[in-house]
Amino acid sequence: MNCAYYPGCSAHALAREYDRSARLVCQRLGIHLTEVQDWNCCGATAAHSLDHELAVSLCARNLAIINRMSLDRVTTPCAGCFNRLKSVSFELKNAATLKAKIEQAIDAPLDRLPEIVHLLQLLVQDIGPEGLAKHVVKPLRGLKLAAYYGCLITRPHKVVAFDDPEQPSSMDRILEVLGAQTVKWSHKAECCGGGFAASETSIVLDLSGQVLEAARQAGAEAIVVACPMCQANLDTRQEAVEKGRGTRYNLPIVYFTQLLGLAYGYPSGRMGLRRLIVSPLPLLKKKGLI
Amino acid sequence: MGPDFYIPMRLNEVDDSLQKEIKENLGVDLEMCLECGKCSGGCSNGQSFDYTPRKIVQLVKFNDEETLLSMDALWICLSCQLCLDRCPSGIDLPRLLDYLRAKAYRKGLRASRPQVQLFYELMLSSVRKIGRVSEFPVILQFNWKTGQYLKDAHLGLTMFLKGKLSFLSPHVKEKEKVRRLFNGSPVESRGNNR
Amino acid sequence: MRNREKTAIVIGAGPAGIEAALKIGQAGYQAVLAEREAELGGTLRQLYSSFPRWEDPRDLLDAKIRQLENCPRVSIMKHSTVEASQLHEGGFLVTLRDSRNGTTKDLHVDAVILATGFALMDLSIYGEYGYGIYPEVLNALEFEARLREWSQGSGQAPQGVALIKCVGSRDRSKGNPYCSKICCMYTAKQAGLVKDMFPDAKVYVFYMDYRAAGKEYEEFVRDVIEKKHVRYVRGRPAKVLCENGRLLVRAEDTLVGLPVEVLVDVVVLASAAVPHPGTRKLAEMFGAKTDEYGFLENERFEPVKAADKVFFAGGCGFAVETPLALQQGAAAAAAVIALFNTR
Repeated sequence: MNCAYYPGCSAHALAREYDRSARLVCQRLGIHLTEVQDWNCCGATAAHSLDHELAVSLCARNLAIINRMSLDRVTTPCAGCFNRLKSVSFELKNAATLKAKIEQAIDAPLDRLPEIVHLLQLLVQDIGPEGLAKHVVKPLRGLKLAAYYGCLITRPHKVVAFDDPEQPSSMDRILEVLGAQTVKWSHKAECCGGGFAASETSIVLDLSGQVLEAARQAGAEAIVVACPMCQANLDTRQEAVEKGRGTRYNLPIVYFTQLLGLAYGYPSGRMGLRRLIVSPLPLLKKKGLI
Repeated sequence: MGPDFYIPMRLNEVDDSLQKEIKENLGVDLEMCLECGKCSGGCSNGQSFDYTPRKIVQLVKFNDEETLLSMDALWICLSCQLCLDRCPSGIDLPRLLDYLRAKAYRKGLRASRPQVQLFYELMLSSVRKIGRVSEFPVILQFNWKTGQYLKDAHLGLTMFLKGKLSFLSPHVKEKEKVRRLFNGSPVESRGNNR
Repeated sequence: MRNREKTAIVIGAGPAGIEAALKIGQAGYQAVLAEREAELGGTLRQLYSSFPRWEDPRDLLDAKIRQLENCPRVSIMKHSTVEASQLHEGGFLVTLRDSRNGTTKDLHVDAVILATGFALMDLSIYGEYGYGIYPEVLNALEFEARLREWSQGSGQAPQGVALIKCVGSRDRSKGNPYCSKICCMYTAKQAGLVKDMFPDAKVYVFYMDYRAAGKEYEEFVRDVIEKKHVRYVRGRPAKVLCENGRLLVRAEDTLVGLPVEVLVDVVVLASAAVPHPGTRKLAEMFGAKTDEYGFLENERFEPVKAADKVFFAGGCGFAVETPLALQQGAAAAAAVIALFNTR
């Protein structure tokens, strides 16, 4: 199975473990990923917040490149990039004047647009839980996990059309076929604070704090994520949240691809588990998984 | 400065030009708003907004562009999409806020949260120059320009040692093509000297 | 043909169907009252109390059943569903199926009254309210049963209850655009009952409007607010979360413009009223028109007539409260009687 791969700006450093584990897992599953040639930043929140047309053209350039690569589908592990690419694609399909303008700006036709799927969506829809279960050599037994989707993988539902926007379950199903137990909790699709970690840190501390607290109350031992932004907020700001709330969380924030890789028999080093600030290693050792 | 006795707003004199502008440019029909408040109730950051999402819609109906372009809510909206997704009328509030914010930005108005605007500009400056964003240089520049030299220093060191922060950043080869997308954008004229 | 008496079949024995069958029987014609369940009453049977006079619905139901029993021209067929129908000698040949043993029976009838009632919408698309996720999030009928449990002393006493209106109604994005008409009244009733049973409990009703258009209705709602001290909060809740095992409802108090939240033990969702499943199929069987939601449509200038010799009453036409369902049943009966009288 062929698919274009859009890593996103965080892949090279901040979320390198996510990118690496994603590529390894896809390799194991027979998904051939081809990185989008010379891709540019999708614009994230910054672009659409200040200049709508700029935001559209930044994404559109990537979509045109994928067309030139003769690939009809692109996947990305980042929820932000996914949401931007998908929203822009949706808008281009429905607004003829904008489309014409953007075609001129990027000097490329946009009559054909690739299908855009988040990596989680690709695995769930194309391989499916049973297909994913086939490669498990080390079941993740004994782990109680909170699957955290964040706000952008499933919303707006009319654009994204993946899973239930308020009570998503696709990641839960994957974790379950890997042998882990998932908890029922209230904040699985609430916002972590997004891109405000540097510019308005208190917002992230408030919202990520609520997510951490909800996971703790639900009895989770770790939170599993599918977005580098969510991972960074919940992981790097966990200590500050603990200080602010006077509560100890000790909740490792793990990418779902890292857990897939572990279950598929990859050593923890290759999955980059050591790169996480709140280390998952003590928990995994305790459960006999590493 | 008005007279020193209270005069209620006379609704017959309120024109609907802003509402029409929103409908024409964004395809968002604010007449569909049920005023139910479901947007505000679930807004991720709603408790910090000076005007809740529902109030923002109402302000458009009051043609109060002055408030709309200077309000704080504009700069602390997270674009989380929860309001749009839950709205029973499907009103695209994130898009509406984007539009108002971009309008304020184009007009050169001062953001109520200059550091939020600065962060966006720094990210986009990186995109404009190399086609991508590298977090470390952006955060360093941000800390420098806001005078918070030691902000998150301890965290930054931890992350650096784990290899999560890199001074290097891959560049887009067709840099010029990406740079060209910024032509005519207020991001280029306002945010370029970052 | 002179030997066989004119017969109408009334499909559904809620208040509308019961009243229709009764009036036809009292007028001197034969009525067959077919009911799918083991007992008569429809949704009315599930209610613990009623508005606007706080009366026990079972009293009304018992009185009506006694009237039916005293009406020899009405034959009641429980456990019965309509399997098929075909035109037959100026009327219909209707096949009824007994759900207990699968046996069928053919009836020759001269008119049909559809009175299949309404049901509550499936709330699984409202993931934000956690129906089906949190056990203490209930729809209005489930809560009615809970009220009965509480009245009998069982179940845990609540410290807080939040009732959310317009779930699935007045929603063009998902759900139905229409207003389900009866929820404002029954929500006020349910909220008031909680306060009666547990005066110390905090009871909140989250509303966009309250629609009390009926005789003694406005006074009823004002009583619930002013005398029983139910707190009405204007704002459609965005989400039901949980905190320390209790349910947290988040909304905006739109009158003051601030986000608020309440911590409660039970959340009640006033779900949209939809036609009872099976109504559409029945309508097709008898050549009746339904609208895009599956509610029966009346012929122009004929308020209770759905097709030739086919009439309807009650919730299958649109959500309706008990007194109006009775009235509509009587109106449908009158139409049948007029039809039978002209032959």
